[in-house]
Amino acid sequence: MSSAQIEIQLIASLVAVACAIPGTFLVLRKMAMISDAISHSILPGIVIGFFITHDLNSPLLILLAAFTGIITVVLVEYIQKTGLVKEDTAIGLVFPALFSIGVIMIAKNANDVHLDVDAVLLGELAFAPFDRLIIGGTDVGPKSLWIIGMILLITISLLIAFFKELKVSTFDKGLAASLGFSPAIIHYGLMSVSSVTTVGAFDAVGAILVVALMIAPAATAYLLTTDLKKMLALSIGFGIFSAVFGYWVAHWLDASIAGSITTVLGLVFLLVYLFAPSKGVIAVMYREKQQRKEVSLLTFLLHLKNHDEISERHVKHLNEHINWQKVRSRSVLDLALKNNMIDIENQIVSLTKKGDEFTSKAIDYIITNRDAQIEDMKDDFFLFRG
Amino acid sequence: MENTIAVKVDDLTVAYNYKPVLWDIDLEIPEGVLMAIVGPNGAGKSTLIKAILGILKPIAGSVSIYGKPYEKQRQLVAYVPQKGSVDWDFPTTALDVVMMGTYGSLGWIKRPGQKEKKAALEALEKVGMLAFKGRQISQLSGGQQQRIFLARALVQNASIYFMDEPFQGVDASTEIAIINILKALRKAGKTVIVVHHDLQTVPEYFDWVTFLNVKKIATGPVKDIFNDDNLTKTYGINYKVSIQE
Repeated sequence: MSSAQIEIQLIASLVAVACAIPGTFLVLRKMAMISDAISHSILPGIVIGFFITHDLNSPLLILLAAFTGIITVVLVEYIQKTGLVKEDTAIGLVFPALFSIGVIMIAKNANDVHLDVDAVLLGELAFAPFDRLIIGGTDVGPKSLWIIGMILLITISLLIAFFKELKVSTFDKGLAASLGFSPAIIHYGLMSVSSVTTVGAFDAVGAILVVALMIAPAATAYLLTTDLKKMLALSIGFGIFSAVFGYWVAHWLDASIAGSITTVLGLVFLLVYLFAPSKGVIAVMYREKQQRKEVSLLTFLLHLKNHDEISERHVKHLNEHINWQKVRSRSVLDLALKNNMIDIENQIVSLTKKGDEFTSKAIDYIITNRDAQIEDMKDDFFLFRG
Repeated sequence: MENTIAVKVDDLTVAYNYKPVLWDIDLEIPEGVLMAIVGPNGAGKSTLIKAILGILKPIAGSVSIYGKPYEKQRQLVAYVPQKGSVDWDFPTTALDVVMMGTYGSLGWIKRPGQKEKKAALEALEKVGMLAFKGRQISQLSGGQQQRIFLARALVQNASIYFMDEPFQGVDASTEIAIINILKALRKAGKTVIVVHHDLQTVPEYFDWVTFLNVKKIATGPVKDIFNDDNLTKTYGINYKVSIQE
């Protein structure tokens, strides 16, 4: 690996981490679309900043552009507050307006300078190592590495300092307010960090793909854990993995780095979406199938418990009585047999002692809905796992 | 009942988009009562609590807690929002939600430690939820979630408790468990204010009641003012309570 390759992967990874942190909270606050809005509407900020500073990496430009991000949020909230339109409509009204102002400003004034819409929207990570930061004549590395590094450092410090405030205001705004943690301050703090990160990352991965780095890792992590800290750690992990792996995909395919990173993010999400142990599509389908089977089993056992008459307990009669297809009856009978819940003698089914106890307990549970009574049954049966 | 006044509300008016939902409320809640706020849907019951707690900004009027503004008295007040106001899929555990009750006394930046954890575990035990401390909150039943919220308020060790419909969507056994805890709080000298829907249980559960319908209709001891007259004024229809003692 050349030093440029290492630098590119390092920049991509830092961007991924800087995005994953605010992204996790955006996802939990159901504000994913706000990051999309911010990523577009910072364009006029970048353009104005560029006219003033003539340097895409200037901190002043970053602050100006981030400020446009905050304006977006304020405008969206203002329009929403009138009650005339819903939040998603307000978002859809505000960011195209701001974005198009940026597009017109570029077209009118910046045709002859190094600033075009493509560069802002798509970025070009491959060029990042060429723009060096030189202090006192020494080359200290790519400028964008320093910028995103600084932003990441600030983000991590804020996260560590205000983790509890972020958590409580994200989970329960009312409680946060009553405890004296102003949800407005935390909200705008998070919006500021998201805006600054978006601007800082735009010339690396482009303003649009920043959205993918904010939302996809967090959405993926959300499917895998029920712990906020782990969700943050997993988001960061998925972000770094996608950044590095995406770089190499781009290398092999000779394609856009940002595009490849985003594709990897999407694929990682897809894999987790399908195969996540408890929330994944396949796990859910399997669980539902098991539950269907167990409800059938319980129905069947209950029928046996309610009927002493031989005629009601004949294997063949069961089809008609409970009104099931043959296959389903068969699989339920097998399940009951396998669990030693029933005996079959001369085609007559009867409950075993175990089956009898199980049925009573299960019915008891369904009626009282008391968890403690069935703790020991949970291992055998999905049905009672809630 | 010439008690200390725990909560005093003066000329409070709250509006949403310039439409008053609470109009010129004067209210004095004596220390040590277990009070129900009753009124029809849209009467402003939750709004009243939120305005007292500074979550909503009133357009007029003031609130004091033991004679001082709420901002200075946060430590004395605990709040249980409506269960439906939060996302129960949030990635956290029962214990962690209860720990949030300690955040107020910690203030900004400082993190909860062993002391806070111990307090949270004790509160979980009081509401009978210790066995579920590690359970992800979406895996709890509605009644259990309500108990977790109650535990979170208990851990604040406040003097005044505000609860927004704590009995909503809970089963009978949880309702009894909750009301017993509220009665125990009153016994310990705390003031408990509950937004309540079930008029049948008011005389049984509460000793103080406020009738609210945008304006305050009446407030006082249940035995004196919980009558057909006030119910009719509040709900606008002829109300007959057969449960009067």
